[in-house]
Amino acid sequence: MNKRTALMLCLLVIGTFSFAQEKPTKPKTFKYGKISLEEFDTKVSGVDSAASAIALFDVGKGYFELSPKTGDFVYVFERHTRYKIINKTGYDYANLELQFYKQNTDETKLDYMEAATYNLEGGKIVPSKLSKDAKFSEKQDKNYTLKKFALPNVKEGSIVEYKYRISSDFIFTLRSWYFQRAIPTLYSEYDITIPEYYKYKVNAAGYVYLNPTRDITNQSFFINGQAINLQSVHLHYQAENIPGLKQENYITTMEDYVSKVGFELSSITIPGQVYREFTSSWPKIVKGLKDEENFGSFINKRGHSKTILKDILKGETKPDTVMQLIFDYVKNNIKWNDDYNMYTSETNPKTIFEKKTGNTADINLCLLNLLTEANITASPVLLSTRGNGAHPGMPMLTEFNNVIIQAEIGDKMILLDATDKDHTTDLIAYNNLNHQGLKVNLKDENATWISTEENRLSKRNINLMLTLSKENKLSGKLYLASTHYEALNRRDKYRSATNETDFLKSYKTDKPGLGIQNYKVQDLDNLNAPLIETMDVMLEDNVEEAGNLAYFTPLLFERTKENPFKLEERKFPVDFAFPTEENYRITVDFPKGYQLDKTPKNEKIIVPNDVASFTFIFAAEENKIMITSKISIKKATFSPEEYYDLKELFKNIVRKQAEQIVFKKS
Amino acid sequence: MRRSILFIAALFAFAKVTAQGIYDVSKIPANLTHNASVIIRNEELIYEVKDQGTAVQTYKTAMTILNKNGESSSRMSEYYDKFSSISNLKASLYDEKGNKIKDYKNADFKDKSAVSDGTLYQDDRIKYLDFLHTSFPYTIEFSYTVDYNGILNYPTWYPASTWDIAIEKSNYTFKIPETITFKYMKSKGLNTDSLKVKDKINYKWNCENIPAAEFEAMSIGLRNIMPWVNVAPNEFEFDHSKANIENWKNLGSWIFNLSNGGQVLPEVAKAKIQSLVKDAKTPKEKIKILYNYLQSNTRYVGVQLGIGGFKPITAERVSAVNYSDCKGLSNYMKALLQEAGIKSNLVVIGNGLPSLNKNYASMNQANHMILCVPLEKDTTWLECTSPYTPAGFIGNDNSNRTVLLVTEEGGKLVQTPTYTPSSNLQHRNAKVMLDEEGSANINIETQYKNAQYEDHIGLLLMEPTDRRKRVMNTLSIPNVQIATLNITQPDKDSPILHEQIELKSSQLLTKGGDKLFLTLNLLNRQENTITALEARKTFFSIKYGYKDEDEIIYTIPKGYKVEFMPKDIAIESEFGKYTAKVVAKDNTLVYTRTHMMVNAIYPPEKYNDLVAFYKKIYQADKQKGILAKID
Repeated sequence: MNKRTALMLCLLVIGTFSFAQEKPTKPKTFKYGKISLEEFDTKVSGVDSAASAIALFDVGKGYFELSPKTGDFVYVFERHTRYKIINKTGYDYANLELQFYKQNTDETKLDYMEAATYNLEGGKIVPSKLSKDAKFSEKQDKNYTLKKFALPNVKEGSIVEYKYRISSDFIFTLRSWYFQRAIPTLYSEYDITIPEYYKYKVNAAGYVYLNPTRDITNQSFFINGQAINLQSVHLHYQAENIPGLKQENYITTMEDYVSKVGFELSSITIPGQVYREFTSSWPKIVKGLKDEENFGSFINKRGHSKTILKDILKGETKPDTVMQLIFDYVKNNIKWNDDYNMYTSETNPKTIFEKKTGNTADINLCLLNLLTEANITASPVLLSTRGNGAHPGMPMLTEFNNVIIQAEIGDKMILLDATDKDHTTDLIAYNNLNHQGLKVNLKDENATWISTEENRLSKRNINLMLTLSKENKLSGKLYLASTHYEALNRRDKYRSATNETDFLKSYKTDKPGLGIQNYKVQDLDNLNAPLIETMDVMLEDNVEEAGNLAYFTPLLFERTKENPFKLEERKFPVDFAFPTEENYRITVDFPKGYQLDKTPKNEKIIVPNDVASFTFIFAAEENKIMITSKISIKKATFSPEEYYDLKELFKNIVRKQAEQIVFKKS
Repeated sequence: MRRSILFIAALFAFAKVTAQGIYDVSKIPANLTHNASVIIRNEELIYEVKDQGTAVQTYKTAMTILNKNGESSSRMSEYYDKFSSISNLKASLYDEKGNKIKDYKNADFKDKSAVSDGTLYQDDRIKYLDFLHTSFPYTIEFSYTVDYNGILNYPTWYPASTWDIAIEKSNYTFKIPETITFKYMKSKGLNTDSLKVKDKINYKWNCENIPAAEFEAMSIGLRNIMPWVNVAPNEFEFDHSKANIENWKNLGSWIFNLSNGGQVLPEVAKAKIQSLVKDAKTPKEKIKILYNYLQSNTRYVGVQLGIGGFKPITAERVSAVNYSDCKGLSNYMKALLQEAGIKSNLVVIGNGLPSLNKNYASMNQANHMILCVPLEKDTTWLECTSPYTPAGFIGNDNSNRTVLLVTEEGGKLVQTPTYTPSSNLQHRNAKVMLDEEGSANINIETQYKNAQYEDHIGLLLMEPTDRRKRVMNTLSIPNVQIATLNITQPDKDSPILHEQIELKSSQLLTKGGDKLFLTLNLLNRQENTITALEARKTFFSIKYGYKDEDEIIYTIPKGYKVEFMPKDIAIESEFGKYTAKVVAKDNTLVYTRTHMMVNAIYPPEKYNDLVAFYKKIYQADKQKGILAKID
């Protein structure tokens, strides 16, 4: 099992402890429009005591019905929810938005919507119904429609209630049920009944224990007056007193931590029809992908690749050169349209090469197509991006949203992501750094999890060789070298500027007193080499005087001024995406007549297991000082327990880097 | 016959060659590519007024995108709604040499709803196309026609309205029947050509060979250096309504008539109002009571449909649902006041926009509506969409600008109240108890007034956990632990916040050998400077006038004495005033700092004076005192 999934599981257990519940009580029942006076007095204590609203209950029910129109099963979703609005910030809960999808003749539709506001006026409950002219329908594009509802007469202390039913022709993934939101939820329940024809994989996530139960129940469906009796699986989830979810920094996405349950179809067995399996196991998923016109068959249409390959390779046959040439060709000829997808938008690579633009799958599967045509062994690797959240690990296709490529050259495995011109082999987009990916073997119809973890340190070397003048100006040379993701960022900044002057201007913005001349950038387009920048610098305002003392902080602009981890505790892991090292070195020749006052001590701080460290070394010769400061973060993720070590490390970095070098002037 | 075929063939061949070459990037004059990310190669805007309610616009442009920074301009987009439709969409992409790479198909253009932030519903839509290409430079070309069936305004021509855009060629032709009058404003030095064609007059403005403007911080825009034309109707028809907007008076009349009669309240509501104000003695008191009633019973929900963008929803309708947009809520408040016997006027205002141009009435200078309650001595202004702020406080973005008062006699231009820099006050007292290890106990008390109140009101509304996070992240003190944090608004009727924080810093002083360094301005440093410009071209503004007063009393740790303290500083310029001083008394240091900035618009040549002013403040703010061990 992947490290990260293990981590999540362990968190889950801890989570169950901290929000441990009494034995689940029987499901509660709520009647629409029946509000009790006590509900107006609802209060929440503890961390949520100042919540802007409270979800009094949120009850969802999912089941299947036979559509009289098509004779097919449709998925029906009913929701009944009630909020108490505490203050004006909570007015957001008095507006409701629901999105609906339509494709050809299949659609999701709203069957009914009942909603009302209740106010307590002179000890009496006064209801105000949602009026007709408070319903709006916004056609967002050709597939999506947003329906919006605004409840009347909302004030602080109001209770608002919604009850609605949605039925959908799309049964592959069923709406996820969220037990948690930004405000506290007193009671949340989800109940779903699935006819024996359908098998779904269930994905439950988050920190809250959901008291799951499962039993079998008999259901009758009627079509043309005839009854079909089926056994159905009945699943029930229930939780009480669920705290509001609070945002934190250095995470992938809050979606990874919210308590929810989701469903994805794995098979259909209808008597008299062919058994259809969708995603019950990885081999089945791969088989499905193989036949998919926007995946497997896209990869196999190699007519166009055949015609262009000769021009790309120009006779080269050495596998790693061939791979590099093809990678460069795809990077330079198809522009990413900012869309993440695991499926291509067209069914033939030729169309993509002609369009010269496409989503991530268009680009990377074109790359795979060409590699395969050139006899390089390569496979697609399915990913869930950081923004999409961690994949639950079990065979669920829809939890992926992206695809990259792994190529094999001899015994070397190389990850390729051609969506950015500045990517190199083994350097994939930042958003893809979500720790693992599923390598798909289309030939053998199987799949294996592989690590996509970036293990190399992305380095930033800053080297300053300066001379201090008697007027307290520093001048000399600055040398910057960046590797991997640090280099990718720098290259992107450089290219995004109108010109070099503009680039230097923005480099100088947070560095008051810095003047730059003779700026040179090396290896801007030699992507496999570190990006090297050199310049002559002049610094004013950095060395200060106090009586007969002159002093400065030797880290200059590179000083870590604040601890990025300020909060006392943390619930979620810290996820930096990739390991880093910042290596700062400065030498200063100081003028005659200056004498070093007491000098800083050397320090080395190492986080347990050496997963992060900080070193500060000071050395002095006659008229010269030399200081080295090195911060290493040697892995990408840190658990909430390790948070304290990180916090302590940065506290020491802030303290040490703030120390002054003091000269006495004679 | 044979000869003419040959001739045609030759002509085609020739046409093809030139077509390929038109957008060749190497043909762009070097003075244009310098500092530019985008070059407008050839832009043509033709707008033909048919009558007061209908018009046709044809637009055609070609732009070269030079680098990644220009990529955001690599897009065609045009809004439309019930009263306009877009047709004849065409688009192509050319490579560096000017060879056509592709023509876009109809299916490549996308269509989506365009509901602006904070609005629940409006019927605007947008058609757009993103041009993407892997290598720079490249050229995009597109054209379309828009038919208008309902007019509020005529198009503005302002081809290079932002930085880094150079113009090779751009022109605007405005065709209007002789019988219809209109008005226009234009940039200095721009020529207007007019030509009579049949019963229409064609006005034409054009520009050529204009280099890009380089980014300038704090700019109020490029209107003084780039060509532009604003054109507006004197009369128009829109969504079954006819308007005369020859001047602000008439525009005001139109708005008045749209809203007039919409202040009728249902009987229940009338009774409610009467009971609310029955004990109130003065009009001022009544205004306060009714404004509080509005704030606690209504909320903002924006819905803009056709004429509903200008005509408020009736008070009757608002009182049934208790929500509306700025117009509906202002009009509802007007109705409440009217019931209490107080006259008020709707106000058309540009929130966050410049003042209305006194000599040029048009529909595109305002975006908001508030309410003005003229009292004999003391006029009250009410922002009816704010659920929190005190009665009479309209916020920085509404203040100090020319607005249109909507009265029975038509529109009147008036000025909203000004919040002076010294009234936008942040007053702070802090006590810092230092110990010899460099850690400290800190107590901070701060008052925020007017515009600074507005800046911090978010904190008051936040949940305690989030508020702690926010305060912690904004404090510039290292290694902090917050013990208590209170934010209150002591008086509901005045825009003042009070903040009290107790905290501990485990590392406040920095070491340098055996000495301790103390950055005296602990809480309110200007951490950065702005860069001087050799030849600034655009005007700049200090948008926000304010005054900060800080007093920090440090208690020196035992066993230490003052070795060095910086001299007093006083800096004064037309932009503001700054003082800082420190006084040692017994075992304490008292640091005081005042900083005032004056909001105004300044000419380009004054910019480097501002740079110098900021630089002095930057230097003053980082001054350190030195403490040494008593031997």
